[in-house]
Amino acid sequence: MKPTDSPTLLSSCARATTWKEAQFRVEYPNSGCRKTRIFALDDRATSAMARITEQPWNDARFLTLAGDDVNPDATSADDLALVDSHGAKADLANELSGADVVVLISGSGDNAGAAEVVTREAYNRKIMTAGLALADPATGHAADAVVNILRPFASVLVVAKDDEFIPAMLSALRA
Amino acid sequence: MLRKDVNDLLTQTSPDTPMGEMFRQYWIPALLASELPENDCPPVRVKLLGERLIAFRDSKGRLGLMDEFCAHRGVSLWFGRNEEGGLRCPYHGWKYDYQGNCIEVPSEPEESGFCERIKLRAYPLIQVGDVLWTHMGDKENRPPEPEWEFATVPAEQTFTSKRWQECNWLQAMEGGIDSSHVSFLHSGGLKSDPLFKGAKGNQYNEADKKPIFEVTEADGGLYIGARRNAEEGRFYWRITPWVMPSFTMVPPRGDHPMHGHFWIPIDDENCWAWSFDYHPTRALTKDERQAMIDGHGVHNEYVPGTFRPLQNKDNDYLMDREAQRRGDTYSGVKGIAMQDASLQESMGPIVDRTKENLVSTDNGIIMARHRLRKAVTALRDKGVRPPGVDAAHHKVRSVAAVLDPDQAYAEACKEDLTARPGVKQTSV
Repeated sequence: MKPTDSPTLLSSCARATTWKEAQFRVEYPNSGCRKTRIFALDDRATSAMARITEQPWNDARFLTLAGDDVNPDATSADDLALVDSHGAKADLANELSGADVVVLISGSGDNAGAAEVVTREAYNRKIMTAGLALADPATGHAADAVVNILRPFASVLVVAKDDEFIPAMLSALRA
Repeated sequence: MLRKDVNDLLTQTSPDTPMGEMFRQYWIPALLASELPENDCPPVRVKLLGERLIAFRDSKGRLGLMDEFCAHRGVSLWFGRNEEGGLRCPYHGWKYDYQGNCIEVPSEPEESGFCERIKLRAYPLIQVGDVLWTHMGDKENRPPEPEWEFATVPAEQTFTSKRWQECNWLQAMEGGIDSSHVSFLHSGGLKSDPLFKGAKGNQYNEADKKPIFEVTEADGGLYIGARRNAEEGRFYWRITPWVMPSFTMVPPRGDHPMHGHFWIPIDDENCWAWSFDYHPTRALTKDERQAMIDGHGVHNEYVPGTFRPLQNKDNDYLMDREAQRRGDTYSGVKGIAMQDASLQESMGPIVDRTKENLVSTDNGIIMARHRLRKAVTALRDKGVRPPGVDAAHHKVRSVAAVLDPDQAYAEACKEDLTARPGVKQTSV
């Protein structure tokens, strides 16, 4: 038998995962603060987002579109009009600088052009994008327009029946 | 990540815990029917939701599931004599019927009525398919019998196994809805496993290692869709249904039997991983059934005479570093079931979710926890019956399909995601 076949300590083998042994974990934090940028694409999404902006977040920024939809081919990061949760003007490039995750929230399927600008800029900066489609509370289904606006850009897409999922997801992602 | 209080809420299932109360709303798998093969056969010990129970089949074929220990001096009734319509404790001869009623106390005069005041806690035990099911909640809230398709097709079309998994039920169940691990951990199995190989869909899996996930809420739980590129701009979808609290199905491959799992707490640090295979429209072939018995697909080999996997934490899951190096297996552990179980057990008996770093592709897990938490608190605070109790929620199927790019899979595959007797599964 080779030495590696015969663990000499309990913690050297799979038996280490008894409840008692599982307590011996490195206590040092294993991740840094996660920068999350959340974009509400329409009125319903803005309304759902507004209810959670005052909660204590690590490094989350909540942004809404200011103005009408845009032509994505003619709109750069500098041209997209955004406001933050305090109503102050925000700059997309600055917001994405150093961001870890972008979350796009859509409730109606409007503003596809702006969604494309945000996700294109996030993609160019190698930032993962998640899409959250808010379903119609009555039917439980998201309109095709809502799903289709997010699908081309998001690396994961969630159709949620209730707005409470937004803070649940952001908490889970350490936003 | 989850806060510690939420992790505790979702992982603790003993009596008088909120999640324990939620599990007690459902009919849950308790034993394989083959564990009680004939009248007056030996009783079987079974621990569920932190309760130690004894199951037996009396002289008339009635099935009983009750407190394992004799009310007299606490002896395990596993040593009991199953005879003449009841289970008799071998210590002093106290005897119980299938409903836990004490029907004989030899030392006391019959006319004293003593034994009429003795009753062990007992639960109903019913057979649906090749599984014995129990409902451990209030009799007044007993739901209709389970109608899962794998348990209601003819016997020759279905096969069920169970194995002991040495970790909390939630981390095991989360593996069942975590589609993103398949491209890594199980990558070897698509080519070699007799219950998976040869399907056209496997080629899409091989060609596109970075699926995009879409999570959609369903009445009974969730659908988790994994999207890969197919021909001419279309998408290959693999859709996994999760029905609360712990039923999952693996998307099908070709005409292979469909399969899935139940994850049932034994206690907070152990669970039963139930694994089933069935075909909706045809009998399993002799080769398919033998492959399942031999531990292929979602099944496993056993330590003889037990439900403990042959590969277990005491032997480091028979890790084969050479197979890992060659790429035969990704982790060095043989078999789909034990590839999952080995990693889930390695997290510890109850994984500390405060230390996790979830990413956006973990949204299926995030949504499942969210829905469990909502259902648990709604039941605890308002008595709301949780999703998945209604038998209509049992009639689900997994799906594999190629769709146009603008189609929402939950709508496009609505019928395919519904169990329909006599209708073949939608598969690629």
